[in-house]
Amino acid sequence: MDYERSADHRAPKALKIIIGGGFGVGKTTAVGAISEISPLTTEAEMTALSIGVDDAGFEPGKVTTTVAMDFGRVTIDEGLKLYLFGTPGQHRFGFMWSDLTLGALGAVVVVDSRRLEDSHAAVDYFEHAGLPLVVAVNAFDGRLAHDLSEIRWALAVADDVPVVAFDARVRGSVRDTLLTLLDRALLVAYRAAS
Amino acid sequence: MTGPPGMDDAGSQRIRPFLGGTDPAAVRPWSPAGPLTGPTALRPYVMTGGRVQAADPSIGIETQVTPRRDRLVPPLPAEQAAIVALCTEPISVAEISARLGLHLGVTRILVGDLRAAGLVHVHTQDATLSHSPEIILRVMRGLRAIS
Repeated sequence: MDYERSADHRAPKALKIIIGGGFGVGKTTAVGAISEISPLTTEAEMTALSIGVDDAGFEPGKVTTTVAMDFGRVTIDEGLKLYLFGTPGQHRFGFMWSDLTLGALGAVVVVDSRRLEDSHAAVDYFEHAGLPLVVAVNAFDGRLAHDLSEIRWALAVADDVPVVAFDARVRGSVRDTLLTLLDRALLVAYRAAS
Repeated sequence: MTGPPGMDDAGSQRIRPFLGGTDPAAVRPWSPAGPLTGPTALRPYVMTGGRVQAADPSIGIETQVTPRRDRLVPPLPAEQAAIVALCTEPISVAEISARLGLHLGVTRILVGDLRAAGLVHVHTQDATLSHSPEIILRVMRGLRAIS
């Protein structure tokens, strides 16, 4: 079985980027804009913490639930594929996504500037998970309800986390957002190596 | 969480409401052995003989599966036969799950079983591969080629 591992240069490799954010912010649109296949849907079982505002200060309740996850694929070269997984954006649940985030290059949190609070949970989760992170504000109709510095302040993201505006419908815009994330991932990788 | 905030609500949105709820200790690996609730959670595991713990944690959702052309495929249960039939070229566990309408957790278990039976190659890789500058640069080159 050893030769099946990545040490074998002939073995097909696959990497993933997680696309997070609240419900309806444009995650699947972004995946579909850059994927070479129509986004597919898979059902996964996850442990969810109910961490709504109502429960603050109490031991969070845990439930196992089945959630739908949309994903797409980009062939990088002959031996390497990139998968983009849109994580579910239920409002009142914080999913424990360790199974999905293990081995991920990083995460893009898609934000609707009119509904910033929907993205708090995702920003929070990926920061805690220690994944390279980019906050991508989906500019519906080319407009933002707040400017980027206001959004950075409202979401309280760390200074070194890029906050960019993008259009989830446009392939080049999604590509550039992923490249911003990979720039960040590269910096983290070099820092870890030195 | 009530309705969407307007500009003048921005001040009250400063503190992330979830900060108190997710201390690092709460971010634990998801375990398929967690309590199953309700018939919808139980039903998929009929296909795996009721096993919920057999999934190899190294088999990720993106892990590539390829055929073993040196093996004759014996008669298999329908779902496993369908997986083998899909693996004519490298395909991810997630794609197998989506194309066959199989629960992701079930797919991971069945793919592990097929590997144990010597019927497919499962190309697991180290989770640290994503920390390699070389591989990150390779992904960047591939993305830049997209117009």
